[in-house]
Amino acid sequence: MHIVVTIKQVIDPLVPPAHLRLNAATRQVDAPAGIAPAMNGYDANALEEALKLVGVHGGTVTVVSLGGDSVRDTLRRGIALGATGALHITDPGYVGWDALDTAHVLAAAIARYTPDLVLCGRQASDTDAGQVLFGIAEALGWPVVSPVRAIHSIEETGVVVDRLTERGSQKLLVALPAVLGISSEANEPRTPAVRSVMAANRARIPTVTRSELGLNAEEGRVVLRRLSRDVHDSHAEIIAGATPAETGAKLADALHAAGLI
Amino acid sequence: MSARTELHDELRREVAALCRRFPAEYWRALDRERAYPEAFVAAMTAAGFLSALVPEQYGGLGLGVTEASIILEQVNRSGGNSGACHAQMYTMGTVLRHGSEEQKQRYLPQIASGALRLQAFGVTEPNTGSDTTRLRTTAVRKGDRYIVTGQKIFISRVQHSDLMLLLARTTPLEQVQRRSDGLSVFLVDLRDAPAGAFSVSPIETMMNHETNAVFFDGLEVPAENLIGEENRGFRYILDGMNVERILIAAECIGDGDWCIEKATSYAKERVIFDRPIGQNQGIAFPIARAYANLRAADLMRYRAAELFDAGQPCGAEANMAKLLAADASWEAANVAVQTHGGYGFAVEYDIERKLRETRLYQVAPISTNLILSYLAEHVLGLPRSY
Ligand SMILES: Cc1cc2nc3c(=O)[nH]c(=O)nc-3n(C[C@H](O)[C@H](O)[C@H](O)COP(=O)(O)OP(=O)(O)OC[C@H]3O[C@@H](n4cnc5c(N)ncnc54)[C@H](O)[C@@H]3O)c2cc1C
Repeated sequence: MHIVVTIKQVIDPLVPPAHLRLNAATRQVDAPAGIAPAMNGYDANALEEALKLVGVHGGTVTVVSLGGDSVRDTLRRGIALGATGALHITDPGYVGWDALDTAHVLAAAIARYTPDLVLCGRQASDTDAGQVLFGIAEALGWPVVSPVRAIHSIEETGVVVDRLTERGSQKLLVALPAVLGISSEANEPRTPAVRSVMAANRARIPTVTRSELGLNAEEGRVVLRRLSRDVHDSHAEIIAGATPAETGAKLADALHAAGLI
Repeated sequence: MSARTELHDELRREVAALCRRFPAEYWRALDRERAYPEAFVAAMTAAGFLSALVPEQYGGLGLGVTEASIILEQVNRSGGNSGACHAQMYTMGTVLRHGSEEQKQRYLPQIASGALRLQAFGVTEPNTGSDTTRLRTTAVRKGDRYIVTGQKIFISRVQHSDLMLLLARTTPLEQVQRRSDGLSVFLVDLRDAPAGAFSVSPIETMMNHETNAVFFDGLEVPAENLIGEENRGFRYILDGMNVERILIAAECIGDGDWCIEKATSYAKERVIFDRPIGQNQGIAFPIARAYANLRAADLMRYRAAELFDAGQPCGAEANMAKLLAADASWEAANVAVQTHGGYGFAVEYDIERKLRETRLYQVAPISTNLILSYLAEHVLGLPRSY
């Protein structure tokens, strides 16, 4: 079977948020100098799941990523971990916040491979939006299930998965080809052998541009104009009254005045 | 960035990622129980780090001492202690450089994969200590075997090693021209050593480090386990000792940087008399000085590693690197304790543990005075003092 795993490069989640800087000029969030970006953690779970599946059923795993030159390092990491191949998609206008557009680009690239299964992380640790995988499925016209905490088996009729719900989980049979959003409960990603890391440095990673995928450069895209930090103001007010009833009435008045009730 | 620097960065990143799986609590618990870091060593082995110095043709990574030193430095830099497994990296060097092709084929691939552990090195003896060439353990040839009799002390990791590299006398001291003649190196298989002929008695030390007194009472070692030529063993272990010194220097650098980072961040945070303690020069200067000494030692370590990797003589540099780095890491650890005040003594801060761990390197594998003697005599041409 052929599995495509989508990989997003993110700021290493180990960087404490206080150390992140909003860069007004580039409209990006900058990590402290010298901290290398990382593979989105859920994507690492997705890749691990893919590697386990081909370990059992045979086949190939291709990792794809959209972004600047630095994502090639993350794709190399995917190869070091065991992916068979990688594809780097470049898009000069890519801003990383436009889930629908990202989904269209990724779907166009994935369609070239005609995979049996697309595994994505359930969401990315930078935006935590979890939208791209649904966009990919929509664009490809395939079923999509997320968040998946376990892939049980591959049957004639599809793949059997456990999907997390608010109160437990559902066991589902999903017809293939399909898109699954893998959650961290699924596995503990492996660490690569140093030898594979070194070999991955020599791996050839092909590049395809957005326009080579037949996508229009500008149409329908979100334009990021400004990146700013929300400033939250908070203050406390103690409402006191002679009796509980009076306190209650004063509280209700105050909430009403603030437009909250 | 050159491919080499990129590789170095990558190694640091990989080791750091592995070490994150073994946080401070892991090392603290082992320290309390005086237990061997099995899980950590297994992870280092599985990732292939410990095979760094084994050439690719024997299944290793085929990297240089510079790269190996970066790996161990990063372990200590991350709060761990390489002492549990560093010898698996370099002890095989004697087999690699002086063993027969048959010995290399037989042992190196298994050492590279971790299937065989060769991380015990038996040199030090109770009655002769630093005066290595006077060691009294003998190996006497009898047919196709050598019979080993004697005693060694402070032999580390014996209980977690399959093989031991052993230095023993094969020609009596009175019959040799130079004291360094007449010594031979053997690869002793500890797995099939009979209890009566070989025994181990653990020595408790101030840090969590498995070290032992070992006793040889007529242990038979097959003659094919002799490395190189008989009586020339002392020479064979010397270049291995240079590697050991460079790697240990790098571990000290890792310890030192860990301590300085701890001291610096604490000095910024701890507010006493309404100001961060680091604002007082009495706190800042010792940290800055320790840092300067550490960086200087680090340069010597890279210089020594560079020379070794280029196949150049590096005895003086390797010794100086170990001397400077062990002093610098001790200074850094001591500064970290002082900066932390009472908390420096609290186990949960890990500083006292690092202090104990890094203190070793002013004594083992060679003590500071002996390095100074070496420099005085062999580099400066001063008269031999002993
Ligand atoms: C935890 C630990 C692990 C060890 N692991 C190993 C191991 O795996 N394998 C192994 O073979 N050994 C090992 N050693 C032994 C270590 O290498 C020796 O302890 C060290 O070489 C010093 O020898 P010694 O203890 O006999 O001290 P001694 O030789 O008795 O020296 C005591 C002190 O006197 C000084 N001194 C001696 N002679 C002179 C002189 N002429 N001039 C000036 N000063 C002098 C020394 O520098 C030292 O400070 C280990 C030791 C320890 C503590």
